[in-house]
Amino acid sequence: MIKIIAIYDQIQSGMGTKDDKMLALGGKNVPIGPSIMMEPYLKDINAKVVACLYCGTETYLRDKETVSKKLCEKVQKLHPDVVICGPAFNYKDYAQMCAEITDSISLSTDVPAIASMSAENQEIIEKYKDRIYIVKCPKKGDVGLNSTLSNLCKAAKLLADNADSAGDIKQYCF
Amino acid sequence: MKKSFMDKLESKLMPVAQYISKNKYLISIRDGFLISMPLLVVGSIFMLISNFPIQPWIDFLRNTNIGGASIASYFSNVTDATFSIMSIFVVVGIGYNYAKQEKTNMIFGSAVALLSWFLLMPFSTSFIPEGATEAITVPSIPLEWVGSKGIFLGILCAFLSVKIYKFVEDKGWTIKMPSGVPPTVGQSFAALFPITGVIIVFFIIRLIFSFTPWGNAFEFIYKILQVPLQSVGDSLGTMLGVYLFAHILWFFGIHGTNITDSVFRPILYALSAENLRALEVGQPLPHIINTQFQDLFATFGGAGSTLSLLIAMFFFCRSKRIKELGKISIVPGIFNINEPIIFGLPIVLNPIIAIPFILTPMVNILISWITMNIGLVPICNGVIMPWTTPPIISGFLSSGWQGALLQVFLIALGVVIYYPFIKTIDKQYLKDEAEVEADGNDEDVSLDDLTF
Repeated sequence: MIKIIAIYDQIQSGMGTKDDKMLALGGKNVPIGPSIMMEPYLKDINAKVVACLYCGTETYLRDKETVSKKLCEKVQKLHPDVVICGPAFNYKDYAQMCAEITDSISLSTDVPAIASMSAENQEIIEKYKDRIYIVKCPKKGDVGLNSTLSNLCKAAKLLADNADSAGDIKQYCF
Repeated sequence: MKKSFMDKLESKLMPVAQYISKNKYLISIRDGFLISMPLLVVGSIFMLISNFPIQPWIDFLRNTNIGGASIASYFSNVTDATFSIMSIFVVVGIGYNYAKQEKTNMIFGSAVALLSWFLLMPFSTSFIPEGATEAITVPSIPLEWVGSKGIFLGILCAFLSVKIYKFVEDKGWTIKMPSGVPPTVGQSFAALFPITGVIIVFFIIRLIFSFTPWGNAFEFIYKILQVPLQSVGDSLGTMLGVYLFAHILWFFGIHGTNITDSVFRPILYALSAENLRALEVGQPLPHIINTQFQDLFATFGGAGSTLSLLIAMFFFCRSKRIKELGKISIVPGIFNINEPIIFGLPIVLNPIIAIPFILTPMVNILISWITMNIGLVPICNGVIMPWTTPPIISGFLSSGWQGALLQVFLIALGVVIYYPFIKTIDKQYLKDEAEVEADGNDEDVSLDDLTF
């Protein structure tokens, strides 16, 4: 069984609206938001979301260092097989948070991580696509969410299996 | 719902959704109408004040004169400057947005759209003066055509004129000014030939129509296209079909009403405008289905009529997660915003909640239509309100106390429809929560215990 941790913002976690940016860092050890949408695909790869961590986008942006450190430490402690940050759709702040956290986790823990966002976040994608895996996702309300969730799970499995699969994962990414 | 069935449904619907959401024309129509929306809302507020459903108030406005005209007539000036000329705003808006899509000059896009439309318009009004037997024709811009009746030809003119403009521009048939000439001056010279191209084409079109039995393009498009489309739009079956499609799209995470709006909204607007005109002159309202019917009676709290779901979550669910989500979402829900539960519960790709999510709007539409059809509830008066207007208030302003009461009834009925489904999820969550607690863990993961 592959163990996954997901990292969400206030909207995806269902903890608030786009105005509740100051949501404090927290977590649930049951699937919430997109983790529930992913359930059929998780079954396909024999995986389980063991925890969902969340943080308001403004909470993160105001003190990136502390939030990032806490998230990395928690990930290290819970030690899942893979961390999924996103899907961030075209929410710019959340996309930035996803990319940066994915990068930090890859650098400071031994757990692999992937991000997901839509092509609208061009600057962030350009900056990070060679350092981390960013799975393509549609913008909010656009066509293709279902296949993104499926791709995220496939990429997560490839990462968790730890084989030399960079080429295979890249097909889902920017 | 089986996964294979969902995959099949998705593979059938996605190409349609993709086509609509990427289609330049439909995007331009949708965004063009959005420009006219605030103007119509403000115009509506004035209309609403002068027609507020209290008879002494209406009499007071009609019988009190200021400067030789009744107060009511001053209010109707605002309606004249917004609703009565709504097609002008729409043509400008669509011309602008289509030019944006075609990557050409947007303000000239608006200008040629308006120009071509006016070029086809008969600039005269016939009327019979008091005591006379024969009609006389006076030169004027006819209010008849700049209102909702001219809207469909306006859409066609906006597309064709911008297309011609872009074609001439792309051919390079433009006057190029030497460098050093200010860009705005250069732009206005560059537009000369493209505008000439537009005028020549529409000049010929006007000429051709003068030989037809319709006499002009407005009459032709109104009778051949707009009236049939309006009667298709003003039917229960169409409204149900449109919302069924929109809500299935929502289930797959696609903004369904955004997609259906680009096709359906122009028709609804035209229907609303006819109702409003009837209201103004005190005639019975002709169309049950219109913008307000869709915005104010089909769903409450956003797509899927999720206000009912939130009430069920808030009052009848016991698991911590659902209660918390209900608490967070109920205030935005009253204003018809349901983003937190669409993704947070989630509704997207959640087969259990999909059933009531699709069913509730269908029931709302059906019951509203029936009650309006048999005269139990007045037909929506055409006053456009922002879609964030909370239910009960919106129902009252649009269909009187009966409208408000109908909304209350439908919201309550929605709670009954959602109840068994959300209870199923609630039970599952309660079980999960109990298991977690039995393991001696709290469901919340604390990140405060971490030290650096």
